[in-house]
This record gives sequence, C-alpha cells and structure tokens, in this order.
Amino acid sequence: MFEVVLNGLILGGMYGLIALGLNLQYGVARMLNLSYGEFFTAGAFASFFAITLYHLNPLLGLAASVPVSFAANWLIYRVLLLPLIRRAPNQDALDGDVVLCTFGLLFVFQGFEQVYWGGNVRGYYFLSTPVHFFGARLPANRLLAFACAIILGGVLILVMRKTRFGTALRAIAIDPIAAGLTGIDVFKLSALAFALGGAIVAISGALVSTFIASSASSGIAYTLKALIVIIVGGPGRMAGAIAAGLLLGVAEQVGGYLVDPGLTLAINYAILILVLLIKPTGMFARG
Amino acid sequence: MADRSKRLAFLAATIGVAILAALPLGLSAYGVSTGIVYFANIALATAWAFFSGPTRYVSLATAAFVGVGMYTVAVAHVSLNLTVCLALAAIIGFVFALIVGPSTLRLRGVYFVIFTFGLTELMRQVSSWYEINVTNKLNRFITISIDSTTIYEMLLVLAAVAVVGSWHVSTTRLGYALRAIGEDETVARHTGVNATWTKVLVFAIAASMMSLVGGVYALRYPSIDPTVGFSNGWSFQVLIAALLGGPGRPWGPAIGAVLLVLLSDFLVGAFSRYFTIALGVCFVIIVYFIPGGIAPRIEQLYGVLARARQPARSASGARAPQEPPADEATADKVAGSEMREVVPRRRSALHPLMRRLTRSGPKLVVRGGAAPPPGAMLSVHGLRKAFGGLIAVRDLSFDIPAGGVTGLIGPNGSGKTTVLNLITGELQPDAGSILFEGDEIIGARSFEICHARIARTFQLVRVLPGMTTRENVMLGRMFGSDPTGPAAAQSDADTLLDRVDLADRAQLIGSQLTYIDQKRVELARALATRPQLLLLDEWLAGLNPTELKIGIDLIRTIQREGVTVLMVEHVMEAIRALCDHVVVMSAGMKIAEGTAAEVLSDPKVTQVYLGDDDAAA
Repeated sequence: MFEVVLNGLILGGMYGLIALGLNLQYGVARMLNLSYGEFFTAGAFASFFAITLYHLNPLLGLAASVPVSFAANWLIYRVLLLPLIRRAPNQDALDGDVVLCTFGLLFVFQGFEQVYWGGNVRGYYFLSTPVHFFGARLPANRLLAFACAIILGGVLILVMRKTRFGTALRAIAIDPIAAGLTGIDVFKLSALAFALGGAIVAISGALVSTFIASSASSGIAYTLKALIVIIVGGPGRMAGAIAAGLLLGVAEQVGGYLVDPGLTLAINYAILILVLLIKPTGMFARG
Repeated sequence: MADRSKRLAFLAATIGVAILAALPLGLSAYGVSTGIVYFANIALATAWAFFSGPTRYVSLATAAFVGVGMYTVAVAHVSLNLTVCLALAAIIGFVFALIVGPSTLRLRGVYFVIFTFGLTELMRQVSSWYEINVTNKLNRFITISIDSTTIYEMLLVLAAVAVVGSWHVSTTRLGYALRAIGEDETVARHTGVNATWTKVLVFAIAASMMSLVGGVYALRYPSIDPTVGFSNGWSFQVLIAALLGGPGRPWGPAIGAVLLVLLSDFLVGAFSRYFTIALGVCFVIIVYFIPGGIAPRIEQLYGVLARARQPARSASGARAPQEPPADEATADKVAGSEMREVVPRRRSALHPLMRRLTRSGPKLVVRGGAAPPPGAMLSVHGLRKAFGGLIAVRDLSFDIPAGGVTGLIGPNGSGKTTVLNLITGELQPDAGSILFEGDEIIGARSFEICHARIARTFQLVRVLPGMTTRENVMLGRMFGSDPTGPAAAQSDADTLLDRVDLADRAQLIGSQLTYIDQKRVELARALATRPQLLLLDEWLAGLNPTELKIGIDLIRTIQREGVTVLMVEHVMEAIRALCDHVVVMSAGMKIAEGTAAEVLSDPKVTQVYLGDDDAAA
C-alpha cells in the first residue's frame, strides 16, 4: 500500500507538471487552448529525435522545443487570439470562439505531426533504472519528472507571489479589466503568460517522454488531463495545480489497486464531478 | 402573411422530404450511404442546437447519448423486435439525461463543456470495463441485417422530425423560456420560468433524439464496441456542424451538417494526406470570417434580395392596415445615432397616458387621510441574512400594508436589495419569516414567488439583450401568475408597452434600448406577470426631472389599479410624493418607520444619511 501511494504521488507530480503550463494559459491568460497538448507531444518528439537521430541526451531536445514552443504560443496569442478578444461582445462568445479556433489549431498541428513524423507511437529508454526508496522500487526517470514538477511548481509559486511580474499576473487572473485600470499592460503580460505556458508544457513533454511513449494523436489526452487538474485545483492557482495533480495521482493509483486498474479514468472523473458540484471554483481556490 | 409564408415553407419542406424519401429507388448504394451520413448529422446537429443554441450550454455529451442508443439496440435486439429496441433507445437516452441533467446543468461555461466531455469518457471507460470484466467480450455483434435503404428512410424521418420539431418548439412557450434562460437565467426565474426543469426537460428531449439516431446508426455496423459507441468524434462533429450553420436558427444546424460532410469529403479527396491540416485551417477560417454561422448570412443575403424586389410589391403591402413596415424601418434606424431626433415624437405619444392620469382623479391626493386597508400584504419578521462575517440584514421586521406604496430607504450598503432578494427567493435567509397574504414564502423558489404574484425589477437593469422589447414583456405574460400562450401574450404585451410608452420600440432588441427605455421594459415585464405586490429596486434612479415626473405618475397609476408597491429608492422627492409608509434601514437594521414626513424628519435618519456633523448642525 505504501508503494501504491508512493507511485500515486509520483504519477500525481507528473499530472501537476503537465497542468502548470495550461494553468498559465487558462488560469491567467483566460484562454482555453485545446492545442495545448500538441506542444506536449512536440516536446516529446524533440527529445525522441535528440536520442534516436543524434544520439544526444534526450533532455537536450529541450534546447530546441522550449524556444520554439514559447515563440509559437506567443504568436498564437498575439496573432490568432487577440483579434478574437477584441471582437468578442462577452466572455461566453469569446470562450466559444477560442475553443473552436484552438480546436482548429489542434487539427493543424496534429495533421502536421502525422504527416511529417508518422502516426507511430514513439518511445525510448532513458534513466529507466530503478531507485530504491524505503523498500519501494521507483524508476529514476519518473523520479526526475517528479522532482522537476516540484521545482518548477515551487519556482512558479515564488514568481507569482514575490515578483512584480507575478503580482501583475495574479491581478490579471482575478480581473483583467481592473488590472488594466491599474496600469498593467494586460495583453502584453497575458501573451507572455500564454507563451510561458507553452514553454512549460514542452518541458513536461520532454520529461514525460522518458517513460511514456507518445504518438501524434496523444496530445488531446494530456490537454484534458491538465484541464481536469486545473479545475480541481482552482484556475490560476499554481499550488492548487500541484496539489490537485498529487491528489488525482494518488486517487488513481489507490483506486486502481483497491477496485480495478481499468477504472482509473472513472475515478478521475468522479473526483472532477464531486469537486465541480461541491466547490465549482476549485478545491484550492480562494473564498 | 406570416402564416402564409409559414404554410409555404411547410409545403416546400414536405415536398423536399418526399423527394428525398423516393431517392433511394434511383440511387446507388454509395448514394444511399452518403444520405445516411447526412441525415444522421442533420438530426444530431439539430438536436444539439435545440438545447445548446438558445441556452448557450456547449455540450460535448452528444457521443454519450449516441453511445447509449447504440448499446441499447446492440443489447436489446437479440431478444426484442426492432421497433421496441428503438423506442427503448429513445426512452433510455431520455431517462439517462434526466438523471445526469440536474447536477450537470448547475455548471456553466467551460466547466459544463469539460463535464459533458468527461461524461462520454466515463461512459466509454465504464462500458469497456464492464465488457472486459463481466461479459469477457469487447465487441457486441449486431445480428439483424437491415438493408441500408431502410436505415436511410428512418434517419430521413428523424432528421425531418428534428428540424420541424425544433422549429415548432422555438415558437412555443418552451422555446421562449429556453431563450430567456440563455439570455439571463436570473431574470427568467424571476419572471416565472421554472428554469431548472425547463433545462433538464429540453436536455433530455435532445438526448432522446441523439440516442434514437445512435440506435438506428448502430444497425449499419456489424458489431459495436465502446470506442465506436462512445466516440468523441460524434460530439465534436456535431458541435462544429451546429456552429458552422448557426445554432440560433432552427434550420442552421442542418445546413451546417450538410456543409461539414461536404467539406470533409472534399478535403479528403483534395488533400488526402493533409486532410487533418486542411480541416483545422477551415475551422480557424470559420471562426474568423463567419462568426455566428452561415444561416444568418444566408438570411442577410435573402433580405438583400427581398429588398431589391421590394418596390414592385410595396404598393400592395402599404394597404394592409396592421403592417407598419415603414415604421419598423424608422424604428431600426432610430436605434443608432439619431435617437435624439425622435424625442418630440415620443413626448407626443405620451400625452394619452397623462390624460388617462388626469381622468382618473385629481393628481395630488392627500394620502394621509386615506388610510391603507387593514391587514398587511407582506409581513417580514425577524429576518436575518449574513454573508460570511458581514451581517447584511439583522433582525428585520416590517409590514407592507395592502394597496399602498411602501418605501424602503437607507444609505448604500444598508441591506435594502438583500431584503428584496430574500423576498423573491433569490437568497435564502438564515432566520426569520416572510408571510405573503398569510402564507410563509421562505423556501419557495423565485419562479414560484413570481407565480404567487410578487414581481420585481432589478437595481442594475436587466433587460434580455437579444430579445425584442415585445418579447421581453411577453415573457412575463407567458410565465407569470396567469400564464398564456405566445399569441395572447403578444396582444397583452403590446397593451403594456403602450402604457409605458414603448409601443414604437416594440421591435427593437433589448441591447439597442437606452437606459430609461430598458427601465420601462423591466417595469412592463414585471407588470405582465400580473403581480399583487410589485418590488421596485431603485427604478427611478438616474432619471432626469421630466422622466422622474413621468415615472412617479406611472407608479401612482399602478398603485391605483390595485397593485401594492414596495420601492427601494434614494430619490426623496419620489418617496415624499408616493409613499404612505416608509421603512428606513441602516447597517441591516430598521432604524425608523412611519409616514414619509415622520421618518425624514427623524434625527436618526438624518444622521445615517448625512453623518454626525451635518445632523448636529
């Protein structure tokens, strides 16, 4: 049982990691980017090609995927989403437009990946040696991802709480109009947050690819997982995303162990449903 | 004329369906199977938009309901005949939606989207788990063979039923209720709409159609497994078809479905390898260049064409006395920048109202002499409401005498609007009782309170922005204490609009109205519910002196006609002129009560309004 919980925590760390970027995009910049997961697979592919084609350390793939993903997401916000924001009469209409638009992007990116990288599942071995931890055996690559999740999450929490930039982002997350009235350049900072979210998801893609194989069509599953984590944790809350990720991971592992491993998704959605019905603003949201 | 064009449209549709029904006789097998795909998509997209169009709940649960239908047929066809199976599919889809509806529909926006998406995922995983662990087989074989022409005809019927049905419903009370919920659910509730039940019912009707389509569609497959049944592809395809066509029009989703299937076929042929990319680019193009869907564009085009043909017809049109096309056109223009210019016209239209006022008696009645009839219409006792640490209303008791105008005044933040929200069921109190004509109304929901004949207006004006002035008022008549159908409601609404001097703006949509006109619409809508007690929340705020005078006169006539009024107000001139009984609140408590003259000269009242220094001076 100890091992099950430990595995759950490791898995949950991964969920938290995947959700951090979307939390910046959806929680702060208020754009539900359905093509989010495509940058996850892009990060995963970059690492895959680094090790298979060039025999490099797969994490060196980050040198390519992170800047590209950052720039691509910045452009998506500035070029594609900003006109929609300017045009929208209300939030409902904007949400609808953004969902449709990024859904189109999802197809574009997925089609691109399929055409140029093929539809195969791509995986490789890296740091798959087990590490012994109080009698439990944990794969090193998963531990690495977990450690990165905690570090990245910690850094983001500090940035959000302690810096001018982070304070501005929190203001935007709570009320973009009021934030604008206090002199914050909402569109510029939202674009940065959105781009930063893209960079972070590329990192998570690279880390997760060391132990889970990806294919061109696996992106949407990660988008949805990240979305569930964010909604459970409370949009815009970095600590909430990590905590919700851990909770979901542990619940999934323990539930799978006690009931049936085939029902992990059902457990996820059961938690989501409970949270939405009891506290629709997220478990870790203020107020 | 509207009736004739309706009949023509119906006739054309019948002929169209008949031709389509006869087509399989001459079509190749390929043609028939293409038809099947079209009709399934039309039926699904229309069913989707039937619920999601007016209410603006973006549902991704289509696949869940389609899958339920497929599985019902797959499980039941072994032992039951096909008709029974399909009926079962519709019933199970309906019941399933009734069960998940009440909790799901509490969520809004993106949460609802994710939740409905999750529902499909959940169904798929639970069904795979069941098939693997309990039946030990992932596939269920469909053992009856039905020729595709029969499937074609069945889906054609479903598509026709969906389109005609949703078009018909959009003109009924249910249709109006749905639109009102989509525009502003709070207003809908306070205007007497049972919003929860309406949403759940329509969600379930749409789900039932989806399950039925799923059930018929299952007959095409040799076997069903969870990835076929609960495939998210259905949800997305249907959503995009409906948005492409325009979910605001009954026939929009059908057009969208046809175009989407055409587009997909074309792209597969033209780009094959790059199909997904091309489809994605098309979505992005749709979002940027045809927001709102294609249907409104077609209507625009049709309008342009009709106007081009207009001159020939205008001579015969002008003779019809009940049709004021010219007036409507000017009214449309007025909505824009030329508002100022029509003010004189509006004033002249007001005179009948003034005349009616003077006819009904001398304008300045000495209210002190005419005591209100004995007995309170509404009796508030020991009312308390706290928001966290803030106690908004604290041990409040007062009576509203029947037949009079009671004022509820006090500085900003003293809890006045909270009291109105407690009376109308918007909020539930922590303690106390509210008796309306002797009956406890705490615990009753907003629409029930409206039916009990208490109506209200809102402090921040809430006119349904996408509905016309007339429709806003009709809503009150259709769902208020004495509900009627749309036709009767329309004539009553016009009478009320005349009363608040909005007859010439009946066709303008809510968002085009000026502030004062929106206030009039709200009042007319509240009156349309036929209240005994009318609650006005700062209805006179922000009016200029002329408008204020008109407003005061209007409230007085309403009261003379037997409606008891409770007004929350800051305009002391109006309080003095209208109220025979005033309650003063400060920090959630009642600090004074009596006639207007009494309370306004009470030092405690002066103090809370003006502060200690001025009160002392």
